[in-house]
Amino acid sequence: MTIKILNAIIAVVGGVLGAIVLYWLLNKLAELLPGRWEDRVKPYLFLLPAVAAISLYLIYPAIQTLIYSFANKNSTAFVGFDNYTSLLKSQNFQNTLFNTLLWIIIVPAAVIVVGLLIATLADRLGPRGEKLSKTLIFLPMAIGAVSAGAIWKFVYAVRPPGQNQIGLFNGIFTGLGGDPVNWLQLSTLRFNSLLLMVMLLWMQAGFAMVLLSAAIKGVPTETLEAARLDGAAEGTIFFRIVVPQIRTTLITVFITVLIGVLKTFDIVYVMTNGRSKTNVIAVDFFNQLFTNRNNGNAAAIVVMLLIIMIPVLVFQVRQFRAEEAAR
Amino acid sequence: MSGTQAVTATPVQLPEQSTSIGSRRNRKRKHDPTAKSPMWVRIVLGLICLAWVIPTFGLAVTSFRAKDDAATSGWWTIFTTPSNFTRLTLKNYSDVFSQTDMGEAFVNSIAITVPATIIPILIAAFAAYAFSFMQFPGRDLLLIVIVGLLVVPTQVALVPLLKIYGALGLNGTLPAVWLTHIGFGMPLAVYIIRNYMSTLPKEVIESAKIDGASHFQTFWRLILPMSTPVLASFAIFQFLWVWNDLLNALIFAGQNSPLPVSLNRLIGSEGQGWQLLTAGGLFTMIVPIIVFLSLQRYFVRGLTAGSVKG
Amino acid sequence: MRIRSSFAASAALGAVAVLTTGCLSSGGGGGGGNANTSKNIEIMYAFTTDQESGFKDEVNAWAKDNNVTVKFTQSGDFNSLINTRVQGNDAPDVALFPQPGIMKDMAAQGELADLSSVVDQGDLDKLIQGALDTGMVDGKQYAIPMSINVKSIVFYPKKAAAAAGLTAPPQTLDELQSLSTKIASTGTTPWCFGIESGPATGWPATDWVENLMVSNYGADVYNQWVAHEIPFNDPRVLDVLNQIDKLLLADGQVNGGRKSISGNNFGTAANAMFDNPPGCYMYRQGNFVAKAGGFPDAVLADLDNTVGVFPMPGKTAAEKPVLGGGDLAGIFSKDNESAKKLVQFLASKDYGTKGYAETGAWISPRTDFDTSLYPTELLGSIAKIAYESTAFVFDGSDQMPGEVGSGTFWSEMTSWISGEEDAKTALDNIENSWPA
Repeated sequence: MTIKILNAIIAVVGGVLGAIVLYWLLNKLAELLPGRWEDRVKPYLFLLPAVAAISLYLIYPAIQTLIYSFANKNSTAFVGFDNYTSLLKSQNFQNTLFNTLLWIIIVPAAVIVVGLLIATLADRLGPRGEKLSKTLIFLPMAIGAVSAGAIWKFVYAVRPPGQNQIGLFNGIFTGLGGDPVNWLQLSTLRFNSLLLMVMLLWMQAGFAMVLLSAAIKGVPTETLEAARLDGAAEGTIFFRIVVPQIRTTLITVFITVLIGVLKTFDIVYVMTNGRSKTNVIAVDFFNQLFTNRNNGNAAAIVVMLLIIMIPVLVFQVRQFRAEEAAR
Repeated sequence: MSGTQAVTATPVQLPEQSTSIGSRRNRKRKHDPTAKSPMWVRIVLGLICLAWVIPTFGLAVTSFRAKDDAATSGWWTIFTTPSNFTRLTLKNYSDVFSQTDMGEAFVNSIAITVPATIIPILIAAFAAYAFSFMQFPGRDLLLIVIVGLLVVPTQVALVPLLKIYGALGLNGTLPAVWLTHIGFGMPLAVYIIRNYMSTLPKEVIESAKIDGASHFQTFWRLILPMSTPVLASFAIFQFLWVWNDLLNALIFAGQNSPLPVSLNRLIGSEGQGWQLLTAGGLFTMIVPIIVFLSLQRYFVRGLTAGSVKG
Repeated sequence: MRIRSSFAASAALGAVAVLTTGCLSSGGGGGGGNANTSKNIEIMYAFTTDQESGFKDEVNAWAKDNNVTVKFTQSGDFNSLINTRVQGNDAPDVALFPQPGIMKDMAAQGELADLSSVVDQGDLDKLIQGALDTGMVDGKQYAIPMSINVKSIVFYPKKAAAAAGLTAPPQTLDELQSLSTKIASTGTTPWCFGIESGPATGWPATDWVENLMVSNYGADVYNQWVAHEIPFNDPRVLDVLNQIDKLLLADGQVNGGRKSISGNNFGTAANAMFDNPPGCYMYRQGNFVAKAGGFPDAVLADLDNTVGVFPMPGKTAAEKPVLGGGDLAGIFSKDNESAKKLVQFLASKDYGTKGYAETGAWISPRTDFDTSLYPTELLGSIAKIAYESTAFVFDGSDQMPGEVGSGTFWSEMTSWISGEEDAKTALDNIENSWPA
C-alpha cells in the first residue's frame, strides 16, 4: 500500500515536473529558430501534448468508429449502410431514438427551470439559509452513478401488496391507501422514463443553480431599481431584464446539460437497463458492443449520436464566434 | 522582471459576482419589501431542499439497518417504530471492510485520482494559453474540433486503447488508468480553461511583451496564477469524474481497482448484496463530498467567467 | 518521468495509429491470444464474496505447492471485460466463464486451447456429463466445469409447508400442479416469485421457462431449442409459457400477484415464506439464494431445520432432469504448462476438499464428490439432486447469443409476466431478435 501511495506521489511530482521540463524544452527549441519562425512554431509546440492526447484518445477512435459503422459485427468485412438501415427499421431502436429525443427535450429545460427557480428563491434568503440550501442541492453532483442508483432504488422500489414497502414512493402511496405500483414499469406516456429523468435532474440541478445564481447576482442592481421605480411587475422584470442579461449563462448551462443528457448511461443502465421502453442511445450502444458483441451496430449508433449532436455543435460554434467578435 | 511583477500586482478585474455558493453576498437591494425573506419563499425552498436530501438520507439510514430490517420495512419506520430504531447497527460497515477489499480500493482510488486530476491541468493550460493569446493558422478550426469532441462517448476508444496499451505492456497498471483519464478529460479541460483565459485582459499580455517576457514566462508568472479559479473548477470536475468512474477502471485498472469497482462487486454475480452496497456507497461518497465542499468557492468563479460578463 | 516518456510514446503511437485506421481488423485474432509461458499466471472469473475467497484459498494452497504465482482478477462485468481484453490482445491465462455462450465464440475463433489432451478423459467421466458437454465445441473439449449451481430445486419452509399439505415431494409435473392447487385452496398463495435483479431483471423467469422445457420435452429438445435448431417460438415453448401461466401466474397462485413479480427482488422474494403465517410456500430458485443476501439471517442460522428442498419433478417419476449453471475453465495461453496444471487441478478430485466445500459457497461438478463435506444437509441434498439427475442441462440463456440470452429473453419475459404483452408476442419478439 505504501508503495502505491509512493507511486502516486512520484507520478504527480514526476508528471508535473516532466511536463514542465517538456514545455521548457519545447519553448527552448522554438527559441533556437530565427525570430519569425519562432512565433510561427511556438503555438503548435504549446498545443502539441494536448492535441496528441486528444488525437489518440478521441479522434483516432472516432475515425475508426466511423469506419466500423460500415462493417459487419466483428469488423471483418464492409457491409455498406446495412447497420444503419437495420437499426432504423427496428422497432426497439425507434423506441430508443424516441426516448433519447424526450430526454433531449425535457431534461435540459427542466434542469434550467428548476435551477433558475432555486437560484431566484435562494437569492431572497439570508446568507446562511442561502448557503445551506445551495450546498444541499449541489451535493448530488458529487455522488457517483453506482451510489445514485443505490439511493434511488430505495425511492422507486416495490414490494408485493401485503408486505411492507421499502421504497419511499410506494411507502407514501400505499400509506394513502393505494396498491403498490411498480413505478419503473409504467411505460404509459413514458412515465418510467420521466422518473429516470428526475434522477438526472436531481444530479444536475445544483450545477445549473450555481451558475445561474452567479449570473443573476451579476445583473446590475441599478437596472432592477429603475424598472421597479417604473412600476414593472416582478415577473416582467425577471423575463424582460434578468433573463436577457443572463442569456450567455443560460446557453452554457443548456449545452453542458445537453451533452450530459446525450451521454446518459449509468442511470438507465443501473435502474432498468432499457426495459419497459426506457432505453436510450448510450445504453443501446453499450449493449450492442458488450452484450451482443456487434461492433458494426455499436459504431453506427455512435455515429448517429454524433449526427444528432451536429446542430448543437453548429450552434455552439456560432455562439463561440459571436462571443469572440464581441470581445 | 520587475515589470512583470508590477503587472501581476495590478488587480485583475474579475466580473462582480459571488465567489462561493451563497457566501459574500453583495445584496444590499433596498427594494426588499421586508428585511427578512417572505415566508412562502422559505417554505417552497425548504420543500425543495427536503426533496433533494431525502433520497440520500434514506440510503444513509438504510446503511445502519440490519439486512433483514432493510429488506422487510421502509427506512422511515425507524421514526415510527422504536424497536426498528434501537436495532440500528454498524454491522454493514464492519462487513464492508472485513468481507471486501474496500480499504485497499480506497488507496487505489487516491493513487488513481490524484495524478489523473493534476497532470492534465498543466497540459490543458498550455494549450488554452496558445488558443487564447497566440495567433496561428487553424486556431479556430482546432478549437471547434475540440468542442465537438466533448460529445464523443469515450466508450469508442476502449478497444483501440487496449490494443495500444497491450503493445506497450501498460494494461492493468496505474499509468494506463492515468493516461486514459488524461486523454478523455482533455477536451473539457482545454475548453473551460480557454473560456476563462480569454476573459483575462489582453493588456496584461501586451505589457508583459513590452517588458520582454517570453510566452513561457508570461504563462508561468501571469496567466497561470490568474487562472487559479478555473484550474480549480476543472480539477473538481475531473476529480469527481475519475473518482466515480467505473467503466475505465474496470477495463484498465486490473489489480489496482478503485472504489466504484469494489462497490459494483458488492452486488454478487447473482445480484445479491444490496445491504452492503448501502454502506459501501456512503463510504465511497465521503471523499468527493469533502473535496467538493472545500473547493466549491472556486468552482463557480472558474466556470462563470467565460459566460457571465457584467 | 514515467509519465513523460509514456506520453511521448503515446503521441508517436497516436500518429501511427491515425495513419493505419483505414484497415479493418484482421478478424477474430486466431491465436493472437496470449503467449505467456511463465509461472506467473492470471486467472479471471466473475464470482464474488465467499465463493471468491474460498476459491483463492484453495488455489493459493495449490500454487504454493507447485511453485506457481497466480494473479486473481475478479470482474462483475466478466463478459464485457473478457471480450474487450481479448480484442486488445490482453487475455488472461485462464478464464472461468460464467456463461458458455461467450466461451464457445472464443473457442470457435481459435482463442482457447483444446483441452482434450490436457485432462485425463477417463477421469472426466466422473464430472456431470451435461455440464461437461457444455464445454465442447465441434467435438473438442475447450472448457471444463469447475463449479456448478443447481436451479431445478424448490425451497419450502419445513414446518409450515407440512401443515399446508406438502407432505411428500411431488414426483411428476401433474403432482406439482395438484399440490399447488391444494395449497391455493387454503387461501394462501403457494408460490413465491420475484425476477427483479437490477440491469439483469428477468433472468429468473428464463430459468422457469428452461426448467419446464427440459421437464416436459427432455434434454434433447431443450438443447436443440437452446442451439436454435428449433425456433425460439416453437409451439412447445408456448405450451411451457401457458403451463407457467396456470401454475404460477394465475390469480391466487403467486404471492403479491402477477403484477408484483417484476419489481420483487429474486434474492429476497422467498422471505415471505418464513413469515408467520407464511405468505407463500414454495420458491423455485438456484441454490445460491440460500446464503447471505438471500434468505433472512435467522433462517440461514438454522438452515437445516427451517428450510427443505425438493427437486423440480419431470414429466414422469422416472425422469429427473436438472437445470443448472456453473463456471467453465478455459485456457487462453495455449503453451503455458502452469495454466494447464491449474486447470487439471480444478477438474481433479482433490479440488475443493481443503476447505472450499465447507464454505457452502461452492458445489463440485464431480459426481464422486463427498457430499458430507458440504456444511449443511440442505446443500448436500441439493448437490445430490444434481449428481443423481437423469440429465443435466446448462442454463439456456447463458448459452444463447447475447442479444437473446442477456437481452430479449430477459426483457420479453419481464414484459409478458407483468402483463404488458401476451405469451405469443413475447416469444415472437425473441425469435425475431435472434441474430442471423
